[in-house]
Amino acid sequence: MFEQASKYAATVDDVMIYVTVISVAMLLLITVAMIYFVIRYNAKRNPIPTPYHGNVAIEITWIVIPTILVMTMFFYGYKDFAELRNTKEQDMEISVTAKMWDWDFEYENGTKTDTLYIPVNKTIKFNITSIDVLHSFYIPGFRIKEDAVPGRDGFVFITSEKTGTFDIACAEYCGQRHWDMYKKLVVLPQDEFAAWYGEEDSNIEDKASSEEVKEEESDDVADSEDSESDND
Amino acid sequence: MSTTSVDSHGHGNNAAHGYGDNSQLYVHVHRDDYGSKFGMWLFLFTEVLLFGGLFILYYGYRIAYPQDYHNAAMELNIVMGAVNTLVLLTSSLTMVLSIVALRRKSIKVSLFYLGITFLSGATFCVNKYFEWMGKIHHGIYPGSEDLAARPAGEIVFFGLYYLMTGLHTFHVIVGMVIMVFCYIFIKTGTINSDKYIVLENAGLYWHLVDLIWIFLFPLFYLLH
Amino acid sequence: MSNNNGNLKDYVSFYDVKTKHKGILSWLLTTDHKRIGIMYLFSIGAFFLVGLTFAFLMRLEMLTTGPTIVDAQTYNSFFTLHGMIMVFLFIIPGIPAVFGNFFLPMQLGAEDVAFPRLNLLSYHLYLIGALLAIFSLVFQTHIDTGWTFYVPYSLRTGTDIALPLLAAFILGFSSILTGLNFVTTCHRMRVKGMKMFSMPLFTWSLYSTAWIQVIATPIIGITIVLVLLERTFKFGIFDPTLGGDPVLFQHLFWIYSHPAVYIMAIPAFGIISDVIATFSRKSIFGYKVMAYSTLAIAVIGYMVWAHHMFTSGMSDTARTVFSFLTFFVAIPTGVKVFNWVATLWRGTIVLSAPMLFALSSIFLFSIGGLTGLHLGTISTDIHLHDTYFVIAHFHYVIIGGILSMFIAGLHYWYPKMFGVMYNEKVAKTGVVLYFIGANVLYFPMFIMGYMGMPRRYFDYLPEYQIYHVVSTVGSWILITAILLMIVNLIVAKVKGNRIAGGNPWGAKTLEWAMPSPPPLLNFVETPVATEDPYDYHGHDERVFIENKEKDIQEVN
Ligand code: HEA
Ligand code: HEA
Ligand code: CUA
Ligand SMILES: [Cu+2]
Repeated sequence: MFEQASKYAATVDDVMIYVTVISVAMLLLITVAMIYFVIRYNAKRNPIPTPYHGNVAIEITWIVIPTILVMTMFFYGYKDFAELRNTKEQDMEISVTAKMWDWDFEYENGTKTDTLYIPVNKTIKFNITSIDVLHSFYIPGFRIKEDAVPGRDGFVFITSEKTGTFDIACAEYCGQRHWDMYKKLVVLPQDEFAAWYGEEDSNIEDKASSEEVKEEESDDVADSEDSESDND
Repeated sequence: MSTTSVDSHGHGNNAAHGYGDNSQLYVHVHRDDYGSKFGMWLFLFTEVLLFGGLFILYYGYRIAYPQDYHNAAMELNIVMGAVNTLVLLTSSLTMVLSIVALRRKSIKVSLFYLGITFLSGATFCVNKYFEWMGKIHHGIYPGSEDLAARPAGEIVFFGLYYLMTGLHTFHVIVGMVIMVFCYIFIKTGTINSDKYIVLENAGLYWHLVDLIWIFLFPLFYLLH
Repeated sequence: MSNNNGNLKDYVSFYDVKTKHKGILSWLLTTDHKRIGIMYLFSIGAFFLVGLTFAFLMRLEMLTTGPTIVDAQTYNSFFTLHGMIMVFLFIIPGIPAVFGNFFLPMQLGAEDVAFPRLNLLSYHLYLIGALLAIFSLVFQTHIDTGWTFYVPYSLRTGTDIALPLLAAFILGFSSILTGLNFVTTCHRMRVKGMKMFSMPLFTWSLYSTAWIQVIATPIIGITIVLVLLERTFKFGIFDPTLGGDPVLFQHLFWIYSHPAVYIMAIPAFGIISDVIATFSRKSIFGYKVMAYSTLAIAVIGYMVWAHHMFTSGMSDTARTVFSFLTFFVAIPTGVKVFNWVATLWRGTIVLSAPMLFALSSIFLFSIGGLTGLHLGTISTDIHLHDTYFVIAHFHYVIIGGILSMFIAGLHYWYPKMFGVMYNEKVAKTGVVLYFIGANVLYFPMFIMGYMGMPRRYFDYLPEYQIYHVVSTVGSWILITAILLMIVNLIVAKVKGNRIAGGNPWGAKTLEWAMPSPPPLLNFVETPVATEDPYDYHGHDERVFIENKEKDIQEVN
């Protein structure tokens, strides 16, 4: 049901569980207390209330403890986020251009596709922009999302760790067919990908092995650095 | 616990109460000058925030396009801006003089200064009109082709220029309308040396209009 | 007990008092805060029903994949209209305009608000805004931008967005004037002897809310104006093709709209504080902490707006800082929840309909609020942003929390406003149905959202269908509950049920120290403020009930 496509997805799920556990504990605490008090101090049983105006120590307790709890939540969330946004060595860059109501995926060698194919066990960088209105590049299986903003370049990394097919959706409202921007992301074994990529690319004579593909990509790191500094 | 406890109610005017006798009309006789002024200050605060939104945009884009801002600002006419600054500052002064005069019961003097304030506002608007017309003749106005051909930062700069000075001028005009009402009310005696809170609040409003201009002037005309 | 105030037979209530104008004009031109409050109640109630209709249709559409009852364009305008009506016409004005107008002066021991005529102007502005919105609804192509009307889509859409936005602008003005009025009222109109820190907590909450209204609303005003001007004159402020930046728009939008969620929430918290104190026969636990936490929410709430923009493309530093700050709003809200629960401790708990509703709303609100933490956590929000998880979060806080609290308030104050008591059994059945309905309707959305179902989707993948079906069934339960409660209240008034008496609940705050419905200038005798607004020293429930029975026999 909650498909995990990468280790990153698993860490996000862990944070999710962490926050949920604390939340459920808090909810139970107040609910049980409420029900108990309502029964124990019901008007029939306890017709004379005991005036009580508060207690500083208790107030401090329930300020400090939740503060500590939420700070740990912030920290875990931040840790994964930092990991996600960290500029990594990418094996491959793909530019993603959103438009009403479609996605264009373009590989470094100029190949354009409708379904996004990527090799397994690689770090891929998506450079995201839009030509008309806001869209948002969303791959639930990888737990990532980044808005496509006209006039700006966004980026997001994924590391593919298992083969399979995942949904790509548009998460920012963009008009009539916002719901109709579903695409597929297919993670292929490296050799299959290489075969596909080579076929698509008429410029590469040699049906390239996966190593060669990788080498080509690392040449382009210089390029990609400009687009990163455009961010922020 | 009698129903006719109106006297214990602390209000002199029994007829103003609906209790006991339902043939009485309700007239509200609450007066609180301090409260009125307090409300006015709050209102002015919201006005500042209204412009605050625009100032945020101004700075946001200034950071994004420093060079274009510089180029565009060079094209604005400092002399016109400076004259308008002087005009508004003077009018703030005459506004105060008008209130002072009213409190001293010199109605004529008060009306005279109020008139001057009004004329200053009018001068400001006329001046602004010529300034804008000059720009528009040069093809610089939102949506024009000349402007569209310029760099992005300049389009934004002039967009903001028209918006912010336009919104400000709108406030000047509103201020002038209020002054007309004050003028009439002073003449009819509704505003008098005892009850001058309306004029005072109008004065506060006018100072705010002045103050906002004091910010707009350097941001658009001086800061290159 | 204060039952002696309740039984004046020969006073004239504000409904019957002779007025300068006759008929409908005696309402539309009144400066009486109570009449204005009642007018707001009916106007807002009407819009609520319109918004509810769109919600109902939306849920129906989501019953099956593909088109069920409407096409995509219509669905898009449905959620836009639903969101805009619910937010701008219903929930933001909601509690301050209805209960604030009616009860703020009374809780302060005053005859009216500080500026009664300005108050009427606020209402007229509300009405103008509302009429514009209706006009657009009936005669124009329906706006389809989402309630957030993000640029550049809102600059490009072919639908008529000018009137609805203008309406929102005017409503904002109305909101500012109400806020300004209430702040001044709290400072200037307190009855002699009442300090700021002996105001009831509902009044405190209105005071904080009024500040947010004054501070935040101008920003949305200017933003709306900018969008409208941009559409007509192409200033280039937001349009990326002219050098503008869509992300800046989002900042301006949320600088208002985040604090706006606290404009909705804080007055509702105030109602709950009053209800809990009254039906526990006990002063609220930590009164001062409650008052300060209200202010704290208002202040901190102003600094967290960009948590709606974690994926928008703003800088990573900004995302981190705003995630950090977001967690701090949870603290004062948590303090409130804990203090409510602690108030029950050693009290004398009367499980009346408003009280039952209050307790259920604390539970539901907590679910909504706690899932706010999942959204504030940055890595999870990147996944959850713009999915049904967000929809579930805010419907839990709004429907589970704020609206429950609104209805709790309606049931609490209904006898005072209309002078009659409703059938409590039916009301309690309504509460239970409401509780079930809300959970069935919104809980599946959390699951869908986490699975990756984006919001504002006309169609969806088949794996989500089961959740949508459950959710739609929930909406029917919930709507039944609401209609049941509304009918119950109307029946009480029409059939002229037993007279409620001045203080049927045994409450301590000043709005109960007069007959119901109140006379024109509220107080028959100048009220005396106590140091503690909920002073239940020496209360004995058995004595109270005995006196109440006697009272009721006397009156009937
Ligand atoms: C009245 C309405 C209301 C209220 C009160 C809240 C309260 C909160 N909201 Fe919510 N929110 C909305 C209405 C509201 N929200 C709306 C309408 C949207 C969507 C807008 C749109 O995009 O259309 C939204 C969206 C939204 C987002 C953006 C999601 C996204 O689009 O990606 C976030 C992110 O941080 C968020 C966070 C919070 C937090 C942290 C609180 C906190 O204030 C909650 C605090 C409460 C509690 C925490 C529960 C009670 C406390 C305890 C039981 C004590 C123990 C707790 C601890 C451990 C601290 N909200
Ligand atoms: C106040 C705000 C409010 C309220 C009350 C509701 C009520 C409901 N909403 Fe919501 N909704 C929004 C605000 C609100 N909504 C917003 C802002 C959006 C986002 C729009 C956008 O994306 O742009 C949204 C979006 C939204 C969606 C998502 C659409 C999408 O993204 O595709 C759905 C889907 O089911 C939905 C369903 C419902 C349902 C079933 C109800 C109702 O059935 C719930 C039942 C109603 C109540 C519980 C209220 C009871 C109140 C009373 C009884 C008071 C009576 C008082 C008098 C008569 C005086 N809403
Ligand atoms: Cu593209 Cu939504
Ligand atoms: Cu928010």
